[in-house]
Amino acid sequence: MQSASTFKNMSRRVRIGLAVGLAAVVAGCAQDAPQDTWDPAGRNAQMIHDLQWPVFAIAGVVGVIVLSVVAYVIVKFRDRGQAMPEQTHGKPALEIALTILPALILIGVAIPTVGTLMALNETDDTECVVNVTGQQWWWEIDYPAQDGCGEGISAPIVTSGQMIIPTDTNVLVRGTSRDVIHSWWIPRLNGKRDMVPGRVHTVRLQADEPGIYAGQCTEFCGLSHANMRMEVVALDPADFEAWKAKQLSEYEAPEPDTLAAAGEATYIAQCSRCHQVDGLEDAEGDPVIARPDLQVYSGAAPNLTWFMTRNTFAGATWDLLIPECRAAVWEAPPGEFGERYLEGVPEDCLNSVDLREWLRNAPAKKPMYADPEQLEETDGLVRGMPNLALSEDQIDELVAYLLDRQ
Amino acid sequence: MFTTGSKLLVGSAVLATLAAIAYGVTQDGVMGTVGLVSAAVALSFLAGVNLFTRDANVWAEEISSVESAPAAAPAPADSIWSMVFALGAVVLTIGLVTYQAVFVIGLVVLLIGGAEWTAQAWAERASAEASYNSTVRSRIANPLEFPVGAAVGIGIVVYAFSRIMLWLSKTNTVIAFSVLGTVILAFAFVVAYKPSLRSKTTGGIVAVGVLALIAGGAAAGFDGERDIHVYETTEGLQEEGAEICTSPEVFEADEKASQSVAASAAAAATITLSEEGELSYDVPGPIEAGAEDVLTLPRSNPNNIIFVNESSEERRLSVDLGTRVEELDEGEREVPNLVCTTLVEEGGEQNITLTIGAPSITAEDGYFFFVPGVESARLNLVVP
Repeated sequence: MQSASTFKNMSRRVRIGLAVGLAAVVAGCAQDAPQDTWDPAGRNAQMIHDLQWPVFAIAGVVGVIVLSVVAYVIVKFRDRGQAMPEQTHGKPALEIALTILPALILIGVAIPTVGTLMALNETDDTECVVNVTGQQWWWEIDYPAQDGCGEGISAPIVTSGQMIIPTDTNVLVRGTSRDVIHSWWIPRLNGKRDMVPGRVHTVRLQADEPGIYAGQCTEFCGLSHANMRMEVVALDPADFEAWKAKQLSEYEAPEPDTLAAAGEATYIAQCSRCHQVDGLEDAEGDPVIARPDLQVYSGAAPNLTWFMTRNTFAGATWDLLIPECRAAVWEAPPGEFGERYLEGVPEDCLNSVDLREWLRNAPAKKPMYADPEQLEETDGLVRGMPNLALSEDQIDELVAYLLDRQ
Repeated sequence: MFTTGSKLLVGSAVLATLAAIAYGVTQDGVMGTVGLVSAAVALSFLAGVNLFTRDANVWAEEISSVESAPAAAPAPADSIWSMVFALGAVVLTIGLVTYQAVFVIGLVVLLIGGAEWTAQAWAERASAEASYNSTVRSRIANPLEFPVGAAVGIGIVVYAFSRIMLWLSKTNTVIAFSVLGTVILAFAFVVAYKPSLRSKTTGGIVAVGVLALIAGGAAAGFDGERDIHVYETTEGLQEEGAEICTSPEVFEADEKASQSVAASAAAAATITLSEEGELSYDVPGPIEAGAEDVLTLPRSNPNNIIFVNESSEERRLSVDLGTRVEELDEGEREVPNLVCTTLVEEGGEQNITLTIGAPSITAEDGYFFFVPGVESARLNLVVP
């Protein structure tokens, strides 16, 4: 009762101020916040977290003190018609103290900051190398042949949208861009790193536990910047080996006389100019080689060899799984996560609505500069995926074929 | 009847009329008559105006009219802007029938003249005190005049500099501007240590120097730039790639064309030719263990590669990218697709940018780096 009357006794301004402040605090809370810098999930992010907490605390205390003093001075010495006080100039002791104190605080912050930056740039203990290439508006992820990444990778693996890494492994991401500057950031695993055309920048990733760690391009990169997302999927080493084996397995053509087989022909006719499916052969038995450099401004399009082994598409913007199946993967306990992720996209879990909409008219679903007639500066090359004017039958065939890619 | 001022005009008009009559009667020339009649008409008009306004005088009895009479109003201050405005109009008109650039210059001059003239005229109505009006004008116009004037002035000086530098030969440019820099430094030194020079003398010397610079720039600009020989880059010589990239000989190409700091910083890979004639590579982060003989580069990406020649001879790094289709008048043909650096001196480095559209499986033997003249130097390149 007393608190209620106290609140009523507050002035209208104070109450509005409290309400706005409370709204701001509440707005900072979220249950489903996969990109949370305050929830580190690996050693690198933990280093940043261990640094930002004390810095935030120090800055907060300093900020509160300064604002309190300013507020006190404003109220205490406000103009009430009193006479002008005696004017003085200079107070060496105070000035020296107010110079030395901030300097000491900054030095105190700088020492751990520099140490953390140097530790984050360490690459000598790398156990796995993954190349990342940004372009409007998706990320290509390729694994060069190497002895690292668990038991080694015998041939390059190319995928997109989701980077698969083994847990508790120091992964070195070597990133660049094909068109404009992008920025790679998985907040729960490390800080952000700009990906610049013609330059190769590195950033380390390491995840303690299996799971999906979401990210978002953090450098404005054009029309669909907001739709350029990425995810790092951490798997137990054994599950990671299974994923690698799948990615490196031979291409298997669909059963003859099936919808998927018809989809393969449609794919070759409509999609293979840009999208590579490793091992795919045409009717003459020649390998089908995509040449996105002749079609797309960035010169690249996602490799679809094992499309349904990842569970997002179009720059990790849409799920290939319906919400229930997605939740089963995202919310799986660490011990079961790998098994559920490696199930891929079963037919009854396919989010065919978004996939069909995408195939029907991609630029209508994700804004892209896809009209080559209006792209003089790109010499007619589209940015993103154009509308291919596919028929509903062709879309059915392609969905069946893509479902076969797992 | 006739006011003092109008007497001269009336008399002149009468005289012009008489002269026109006399000229028309005694001479055959029509133009002279027309000119004299025109003068008579103009003088009559001015005489009429003067009579109507009675020389802008007021009657001595009308005391209240003295302050409001036109003659009592302060005359406008001297102004150059009306002339600038007129000059702009003329240049603009000439530009309409000659060059667009002249038109634009005329338009700019016209706008500047108009704006300044307007500001001055507006300020002169602020009060009857000329000094106060001048202050008002400065307060309005100076915030715009100073930065724009400084920008234009600096632009002119810089442009004059550039014209002179492009007119002189490369060597003479270095000499001339080294001398100029030294002179400026020496002059500044003298000014700093001889305060007595800080006067009109200093300003005069600077003004003469700036004028000389502008004049020199204008002369150099009219004379044109020196002959600048454009060297092709090795990538530009791709048409002849098979001949160049398989040869250890010298070909004319700009060795520094791709040596910019941006291109060679954070490169995709550094490839080194050792004294033993072996090629090895380094990439950001550790090299993939077990894959030292294979470099993987992404497709359709501007990959900057730095070639380091640690051998004891001049060498170039070449890349075999299979074949490509060459368009000919009579059709197409497949030719070797080779890209290379120029010859790099012993211990030297050179950057090459590789943007590869097709994957390496499209080439029968795959892609690979090699060094012409060094059999053992080979490094496989995988483009997935």
